[in-house]
Amino acid sequence: MHEYSLAQSLLSSLLEYLRAHPAPGRIRKVHVQKGELVVLSEWALKEAFSILSEGTELSGAELEIENVPVRVRCPSCGYEGDARYLVEEGWHLSVPILSCPRCGERVELLSGKELAIVGLSVEETLAEGKDQV
Amino acid sequence: MGEKTWSVRDCGGNRPGLGLAAMHDITSSFGDVLQRQLELASQNYEFLKGKGVRAINVMGAIGSGKTELILRMAEMLKARGLRVGAIAGDVAGDDDYQRFRAAGLPSLQINTGDQCHLDAHQVGHALEDFPLNEVDVLFIENVGNLVCPADFPLGTDTDLVVISVTEGDDMVRKHPKIFAQTDVVAINKVDLAAFVGVDPERIAADYRKVNPHGKVVFTAAKTGKGVEELLSALGF
Repeated sequence: MHEYSLAQSLLSSLLEYLRAHPAPGRIRKVHVQKGELVVLSEWALKEAFSILSEGTELSGAELEIENVPVRVRCPSCGYEGDARYLVEEGWHLSVPILSCPRCGERVELLSGKELAIVGLSVEETLAEGKDQV
Repeated sequence: MGEKTWSVRDCGGNRPGLGLAAMHDITSSFGDVLQRQLELASQNYEFLKGKGVRAINVMGAIGSGKTELILRMAEMLKARGLRVGAIAGDVAGDDDYQRFRAAGLPSLQINTGDQCHLDAHQVGHALEDFPLNEVDVLFIENVGNLVCPADFPLGTDTDLVVISVTEGDDMVRKHPKIFAQTDVVAINKVDLAAFVGVDPERIAADYRKVNPHGKVVFTAAKTGKGVEELLSALGF
């Protein structure tokens, strides 16, 4: 349950950015990439962002969360690509294994641990005399 | 965050019901908040290296035996001539700190104020206050929790997760992500396994499935069983 602290970090970094670069309109969506290995509830993260952003210019903006799958690199055989997954019916989950799918050696993570804002959808109300951003 | 500007790409045009409005997608990098954690952890790592201290992040559920295991490892490391200290991370209270102090370890308590994990920022401040010149090895006992600490590297050399058999034989299946990423696991309280009807081998087998490169050690902190092997697994 660290959704609130991370939602606050996302919000703070975004508000700081917006102070230097004011948005050209109302922000409707905040696009977030979340790595597969990050242990966060999407529902709780959205809820936390919605509550914490009240009273800021991001009030009402919705988090759109895109999952980033684990990708790995093998220092032994040079494999780069998707991870192997452990799929066990009883576990109700498939888990990426940090072992090379080709040679079985330990791999390095290329992706899967990120939590980052990658974009915004802004609704621009066209004011009089202003027809383009 | 570096120099950034808005890069605006018209993606919607006028939308019914929204009046004279256009939707734009703005693509930029606003910084990865977990990457920030990693940077803070790297600073802690370098700071500890500079002081010649090896640090271990000890994670595990409430009551898994983290504190007792640290005390036992500290005894054995002291017998080898190493100086050991400990940081206790808890939501509230200073019970673990008092136990470390009573055992004569330089120690410090972090109260997270209801946060469910330690983070690199809190640990960084604790390291500023800790008498690092008095220790060679530093155990950092995380908040009892098997979910949140997985997302927060502290800058330690090694991560250890402690499971006790009294938690049941399904702990790895219930928390696969933390085990997939942790390279040393202690299955603790094995002296109680028969009483609670749990097979420690089953926990170990699950762990080997999610982490084929990890090391798993059976321990009973109260009796000292397996603790030397655990120290070897941690590289001592």
